[in-house]
Amino acid sequence: MSANANAAAVVAAQPKKREGCKGCSASVHADEEQLQRILAKLALHPGDCVPDAQYAARLALCSECPSLQYGTTCSHCGCFVRVRAKLAAKSCPHPKGSRWP
Amino acid sequence: MANVTVINTDRITGTINRNIYGHFSEHLGRCIYEGIWVGEDSDIPNTKGIRNDVLGALRKMNLPVLRWPGGCFADEYHWKDGIGPRETRKRMINTHWGGVVENNHFGTHEFLQLCELLGCEPYINGNVGSGTVQEMQEWVEYMTFDGESPMANERAANGREEPWKVSYFGVGNENWGCGGNMRPEYYADLYRRFQTYVRNYGDNRIYRIACGASDFDYNWTEVLMRDAARYMDGLTLHYYTITHNWQHKGSATEFEASEWFETLRKSLVMDELITKHSTIMDKYDPQKRINLIVDEWGTWHDVEPGTNPGFLYQQNTMRDALVAAATLHIFHNHCDRVRMANIAQTVNVLQSVVLTEGAKMTLTPTYHVFDMFQVHHDAEALDTRHESADYTVGGASIPQTSVSASRGKDGQIHVSMCNLSHDEPASIKLELRGLSANQLRQGLQLSGTLLQGSALNAHNTVDEPEQVAPSELTAIEQNTDGTIAVTLPPASVAVLRVG
Repeated sequence: MSANANAAAVVAAQPKKREGCKGCSASVHADEEQLQRILAKLALHPGDCVPDAQYAARLALCSECPSLQYGTTCSHCGCFVRVRAKLAAKSCPHPKGSRWP
Repeated sequence: MANVTVINTDRITGTINRNIYGHFSEHLGRCIYEGIWVGEDSDIPNTKGIRNDVLGALRKMNLPVLRWPGGCFADEYHWKDGIGPRETRKRMINTHWGGVVENNHFGTHEFLQLCELLGCEPYINGNVGSGTVQEMQEWVEYMTFDGESPMANERAANGREEPWKVSYFGVGNENWGCGGNMRPEYYADLYRRFQTYVRNYGDNRIYRIACGASDFDYNWTEVLMRDAARYMDGLTLHYYTITHNWQHKGSATEFEASEWFETLRKSLVMDELITKHSTIMDKYDPQKRINLIVDEWGTWHDVEPGTNPGFLYQQNTMRDALVAAATLHIFHNHCDRVRMANIAQTVNVLQSVVLTEGAKMTLTPTYHVFDMFQVHHDAEALDTRHESADYTVGGASIPQTSVSASRGKDGQIHVSMCNLSHDEPASIKLELRGLSANQLRQGLQLSGTLLQGSALNAHNTVDEPEQVAPSELTAIEQNTDGTIAVTLPPASVAVLRVG
């Protein structure tokens, strides 16, 4: 038996993983590591981001907004506020109009 | 090979049930809350809590049937949590969808009111996974009993004296997975038991739908048909188009030509699935009394970067529009067995027709396909023989074009076409046979609508909602031999009106 055939036999002997149970993997609770990973990517594009002071001011308003869900997410757009607030091209999606500076 | 289509206008192959153009709205992400329901006190203009912009868009496309409340959510949904004064309704955790807080403000009354406002038929999915027979029986009684009964009285106390008409009722959802991890033999017996108590009250006649298979699970269909066929009107099928795999689905907007091709190739698998499941159904139901209902289908991409993964929010490009058009053609071709399908999901989740952000809304390329194709609703499917050129990428081939033709109740013939190729235009030669002498004498009036983008990943956002919008189809020629030549740009969808 060749090494490849042996490997194929090992794969075949494993129970087949059932796919399609889509609900189990979804979570609305993001961990810090996940957010840091996204923010690190944004940091590579400083030209697309607002200055730190403006970022902080935006987040301060988000933290007091009743539309903030799970400590991370804006209910009006589904975005992580720490990501959206970084982006210069984005505005606050509040139905009454943007609350951000 | 060229793209050549012969349409025998005097041969009808069936009726394209309008419910093939149905939709699915699950309590998931921003589909219901924010997408459809904002509440009466919202700053967003609304009618009894339902946002007006979404309502208007869905009305315009004549959404025919709407499935609710799930999906996986259905098999954990206890309907009594969603009736009565909203301020006292139970707040709970939607464990199937990542721990979302569910305040139950959108319940039975709100959903059936939405259907009334849309003028569509409700398709309600009952809970077998974690619910009881009594709970299901009482839900049907609550909605449809006309007279004196505990549930009808409670409905009246909650502000609705008249019973609703409930057309379609699903007994469980994905019971092979999130709906209880059942074996088909076990579910078949449970289905028989539960559906017994899904009663017809007054003149309301409920169409009973059994949970069917996930994509290639033909044994599930075999067992359900063998053990429970006489108790069902419909059997479901779920199939999602995923470019790569469940762990790495691929971006909705950033893709290579090879990924464009692979997505479309996988969407065309729907034809094989319907053919094979239908063949099994034919064995037990040769008269085709039972319908195959594709009540979850569409593309499933990675969520939009920077959005909460639990919300399953994805963008929607011309690639999705092509998936929609080609899949709807497959449903047309199987309209003798497939009489309802529900794309997942209506707003803000997976392959949606509408996307919202705060008070803003945009229509997706998929919306425009559903809107353009509404001429096929309840139309007679015409016998169509289509030969397509090959569309080949990386050694694999699929048909470059797809065509479907129908005649509406007003006698109008429509031919919908799509060109799946990412870089080649398609010239399609149409030969219409069997037209009346009168039509031929008067000559054919030809006009049409075209949907194409400026790029393969062209899409609409709430700030740029017109990047992909229908335009007039101008590349139409009548040849001297009576045939019609239509030229489609790469990656486009068109509907030709033959008057």
